[in-house]
Amino acid sequence: MLAVVLGTERVELLPERAVWWEGRSTLLIADLHLGKTATFRARGIPAPEGTTRHDLLRLSRLIERLAARRVVILGDMIHSAAGRSEDVLRVFSEWRAEARDIRMLLVRGNHDRHAGDPPREWGIECVDGPHIDGSLVFRHEPGEDSRGHVLCGHVHPAARLVGRGDATMRVPCFWVGKRCTILPAFGSFTGAKTIHPRDDDRVFAAGESVIEVKHALPSSTR
Amino acid sequence: MVYASGMIAAAAPIPDPAVTTRDVPSTRAARDRIVKWFGSRGWSPFPFQHRTWEAYRSGRSGLIHAPTGMGKTLAAWLGPVEEYLDERGPPRYGAERVTWRDRKASAAFRVLWITPMRALASDTTKSLSDSVSELGLDWSVEKRTGDTASSVKIRQKERLPTALVTTPESLSLLLSYPDAAERFSSLRCVIVDEWHELLSTKRGTQTELCLARLRGWRRDLRTWGLSATLGNLDEAARSLVGADAENPVLIRGDVSKRIVVKTILPESTERFPWAGHLGLRLLSPVLDAIEESRASLLFTNTRSQAELWYRAIFEARPDWIGRIAIHHGSLDREVRAEVEDLLRRGELRCVVCTSILDIGVDFSPDEQVNQVGSPKGVARLLQRAGRSGHQPGAASTVVCVPTNALELIEFAAAREAMAGGEIEPRTPIEKPLDVLVQHLVTAALGGGFEIGAMEREVRSTWAFRGLSREEWEWCVDFVTRGGRTLGAYPRFARVRIEGSRVAGTTGAIERMHRLNIGTITSDASIRVKYVGGATIGTIEESFIARLAPGDRFVLGGKPLELVRVRDMTAQVKRAATLRGAVPRWEGGRSPLSTHLSRAVRRLLGLGSGERAEAQAPEMRAVEPLLDLQSRWSRLPEPDELLIEWLETDAGFHLFVYPFEGRLVHEGIGALAAHRLTRHSPRSITVSANDYGIELLCAEAWPGDEASWRAVLSVENLLDDLLSCLNTSELTRRQFRDIARVAGLIVPGFPGSGKSVRQVQASSGLFFDVFAEFDPGNLLLEQARREVMEQQLEAGRMRGSLTRLASQRWTIVKLDRLSPLAFPLWAEGLRTQHVSSESWATRVKKMALSLETKARLTADTEAKTGRGSCARRRAGN
Repeated sequence: MLAVVLGTERVELLPERAVWWEGRSTLLIADLHLGKTATFRARGIPAPEGTTRHDLLRLSRLIERLAARRVVILGDMIHSAAGRSEDVLRVFSEWRAEARDIRMLLVRGNHDRHAGDPPREWGIECVDGPHIDGSLVFRHEPGEDSRGHVLCGHVHPAARLVGRGDATMRVPCFWVGKRCTILPAFGSFTGAKTIHPRDDDRVFAAGESVIEVKHALPSSTR
Repeated sequence: MVYASGMIAAAAPIPDPAVTTRDVPSTRAARDRIVKWFGSRGWSPFPFQHRTWEAYRSGRSGLIHAPTGMGKTLAAWLGPVEEYLDERGPPRYGAERVTWRDRKASAAFRVLWITPMRALASDTTKSLSDSVSELGLDWSVEKRTGDTASSVKIRQKERLPTALVTTPESLSLLLSYPDAAERFSSLRCVIVDEWHELLSTKRGTQTELCLARLRGWRRDLRTWGLSATLGNLDEAARSLVGADAENPVLIRGDVSKRIVVKTILPESTERFPWAGHLGLRLLSPVLDAIEESRASLLFTNTRSQAELWYRAIFEARPDWIGRIAIHHGSLDREVRAEVEDLLRRGELRCVVCTSILDIGVDFSPDEQVNQVGSPKGVARLLQRAGRSGHQPGAASTVVCVPTNALELIEFAAAREAMAGGEIEPRTPIEKPLDVLVQHLVTAALGGGFEIGAMEREVRSTWAFRGLSREEWEWCVDFVTRGGRTLGAYPRFARVRIEGSRVAGTTGAIERMHRLNIGTITSDASIRVKYVGGATIGTIEESFIARLAPGDRFVLGGKPLELVRVRDMTAQVKRAATLRGAVPRWEGGRSPLSTHLSRAVRRLLGLGSGERAEAQAPEMRAVEPLLDLQSRWSRLPEPDELLIEWLETDAGFHLFVYPFEGRLVHEGIGALAAHRLTRHSPRSITVSANDYGIELLCAEAWPGDEASWRAVLSVENLLDDLLSCLNTSELTRRQFRDIARVAGLIVPGFPGSGKSVRQVQASSGLFFDVFAEFDPGNLLLEQARREVMEQQLEAGRMRGSLTRLASQRWTIVKLDRLSPLAFPLWAEGLRTQHVSSESWATRVKKMALSLETKARLTADTEAKTGRGSCARRRAGN
């Protein structure tokens, strides 16, 4: 867990690829992509089962540990219309029944627009971004906003770390700019994109713990 | 020009196993026609061709092996032709020439010809077609490859020609149509050309599976393969005909072929060889050699080297513009086809090329073959030599161009090994499950299959003869249920399971699978295209990442300027001059083969007197280097392991010389470093080349032989390797091709919409989720096995360490770098992140200072009367 100040708000970056905003008892995640494996399987691509359960279990653990009152999803909650399989819907319904007292907000992302809003009975408030909350602005795709520091997803950022020898590895990361912070994707089966941050950006790798990454990224001279 | 030259005959003929002929109907009339046709071309059939036809007539399958251009094609092809002549009797009057217009009246489909290269298909089709029309047969011969026009494909869908020339991929595709069994029912014979090229690849496994499918439909199908000489012909033949078939006939082309291996000798031999100048020192004699012959092929070992040589030749001889060309695997297929066409028409003076031209285009028989750098294998040099003089009776000549002094030894060793018939084997791949699951989907689409029958069919192939019941069931689960899952997944629909049968699905999944058929994978590469124009080729992403718009680079010999990178495409425009960086491609270099390294060790182990008498002029040229090596250190004998150590400002260097090829050395180096640091942490730098390993450490090494024997022991090899190498990252990378072949990766194509993007994930992501959520997935296991066998050559490493353990070890303390240590030291320096310019400067400086020292010590030794021979004897 690592504390940073975004705009005027102090938040914590979690190795579980989520942001904890203690001031509002709110847990923020982005890019859950529920039902992505189901989408693949429906198209004859044998992706492994179990990722949905696993991701929801991780979310439950975080909520419990931090005593969170609210969860905000910064877009791409459900992967696709084909991903709304019976199995996925049932698993999420069961999970939601357990976490009934948690308020949930979805800031719609590009996938949600195609997949549709989650079932009404899940009790998830759905809005189009940008959504203002105090001095923070929630949206799905990166951008800047005069009303506050933007928190968003969409990119699935990863940092390339150079290890011993020439070995490199990619680790999901928080990409913190002056006015906009991009969260790593929360879902397990989501993939990531290597980022090329600017000099004044800060990058925090979310591995076993959250560590700030410096000068470990490929620049055009490498 | 100075040439080292030696002529050898191909290995002594090995008698064919007796061909048992059964009751064969008389074929005199048909045979007479064929012999007469040979006569009309001024030839007469070779005995091995007669033997092949007889074996074919008696229903046998087999493999014909002979050098290129020795009549293998006609030996295989005229078997089924003779059979047809026999069945049909004399041709109908007037059926002199058959063209595609009357193909509807042509004989029914009966011969399938498989070729590994699309580029070969056209030439083959033409020559097969010519022979049958000259024989007056009503046969139609057509090709079907990825390049075939869709109008032709539709025509072929209605009716197949009498003989179809195709590739393994196109054959798979044909087998994926529901009426496949029916369409192939009249097939009599499959001929696989250049089987050695397919043999040790997944394309070969794919071919094996397709052949098993065809045999399942027609038990009496005969399979004939054509192959270059290999070290494991028996295995090659068995993998072709199937594991449960009767013994294949092995037929050797009985025309012996003379092969001349010449080497251009440098005027002076550097005693401190390094790989910095890529042999361009010998550019001028190479230009002379090109000038002297009508057409030349200049083979290089890597694509980068081809680009550099092309540029150098172009700059030296601008007057050859339009008559020299470059050809390698990263150039666009159309660009390559154009070069091949020019070559065929005899309009090129020289083509700088890589292994992709090892086979392919038959062109003028009087051209010359040049080999830049060591071929690293005996079979490869033999194959390339065979590209010249490929008509019966002519000698094949290859002119070798060393890129450093040590390669002189490798050329001499290759010639010696060739003369002794020591040719490397090509080992078929065992049980690649990614190929199997792809094939199962293909077969399901192609009319479906009974699970039990298919299991037997798959096990009848050589590759899957050892497939376990569990592995088989896993593969069936993978394609029918999406893996071995806990729950029932009604929504998974790749293929349908109906009782004991598996059948295909239709629609998007079917289309997607057809797009995905094949096992040829390419690296994640960026397409290079002119702005709004033609594609030039591909380069690796890592190379383009280092360039900014406006930077220049060279591809396909063309000077280019990067404009922008967009959607995996680098848009470029033409630059004015041939300056700029030459791209590097991964995985170009092959390690020194087992057979060639053995021959090198043998040559090095000769005493200086024997060397002087050896029939290898290269050895005399490299004498100054070897002499210095034996004065400053030692030349290891064949049963001796040499270890040298040296203290410099950089630390303690240890040089070990197993002579087992770079890959094995990299593995041994990592292993040794791991074992040395396990108990006492320290930092060790490992470098390797084809001859040895350098370990560099700031602290002193243990000095005694016993501790080194423990460090290089074969015990616990696999466990230690797994814990010391970043095997998970290597495996993850290896998984990329497997994921593609197994159909996990959906190919994107221009215009593919949202529905395709929704099911696109990288192989790395699949690897990670499988590792976490489905660790028993056998494709992961396969990736691990491929890393061990292909990337680390674990089997060879084990053999090598076992050999070392039985040898005599000599540990020599050096005063300065020895000639053998020098290239390793230079390699090590390169890995220490110095820029390439300062690297070259430092290496040159070191070479110069050592050379000076060598001259000085030679003078002293001459005065004191100490010679290298005396020192050598004393060392024994």
